[in-house]
Amino acid sequence: MICKSAAARRYYVRFAVTMTLYVIALCVTVEAFVRWHPRGALAYLLALMPAIPAIGLLAVFGLYLAEEKDEFQRMLGVQSMLWGIGGTLSVTTIWGFLQSFARIPHFQPIWTFVLFWGFVGISTPLLQRRYR
Amino acid sequence: MKNRLRVLRAERGWSQAELADRLEVSRQSVNAIETGKYDPSLPLAFRLARLFGAPIEAIFTDEA
Repeated sequence: MICKSAAARRYYVRFAVTMTLYVIALCVTVEAFVRWHPRGALAYLLALMPAIPAIGLLAVFGLYLAEEKDEFQRMLGVQSMLWGIGGTLSVTTIWGFLQSFARIPHFQPIWTFVLFWGFVGISTPLLQRRYR
Repeated sequence: MKNRLRVLRAERGWSQAELADRLEVSRQSVNAIETGKYDPSLPLAFRLARLFGAPIEAIFTDEA
């Protein structure tokens, strides 16, 4: 959503903070595995660390939908999430078949997160334009 | 759903932004309702009706 409601402003701040935490967690995890090659429980903990803020981004969006009083803006938010889900499922399904039968490189599930937010990011301004 | 929002708004000399402020929604929402691209929920339709002092069916018609 690209509106100026109080809920939208809170969403932008929360999204920026959570995304920053994600980048920091990712850098820490990568550095830790490159330098110290952790094993066992520590390896699991470090590997999961970036996933927490990544999942947090979904919670941030859910909070926005719960707090936004403008029902039309809520609908736009839900629509952009649906485009994100649909786009991600489409790409990963196509890739899965190509991977199984045409032997293209293995798809790393970690990219579903990037794909999802990429589709949400592309669909949001397009939906805004449609209703401008 | 068709509506008379643009006419009612013009009668009062309100811009889309002014109506949006009174309804506490975005200007884009008012535009989407006015152009028939979005049908408001019943609570929002009632708010519009109260604002214009008219029954809902005087603002919205169920013609395609």
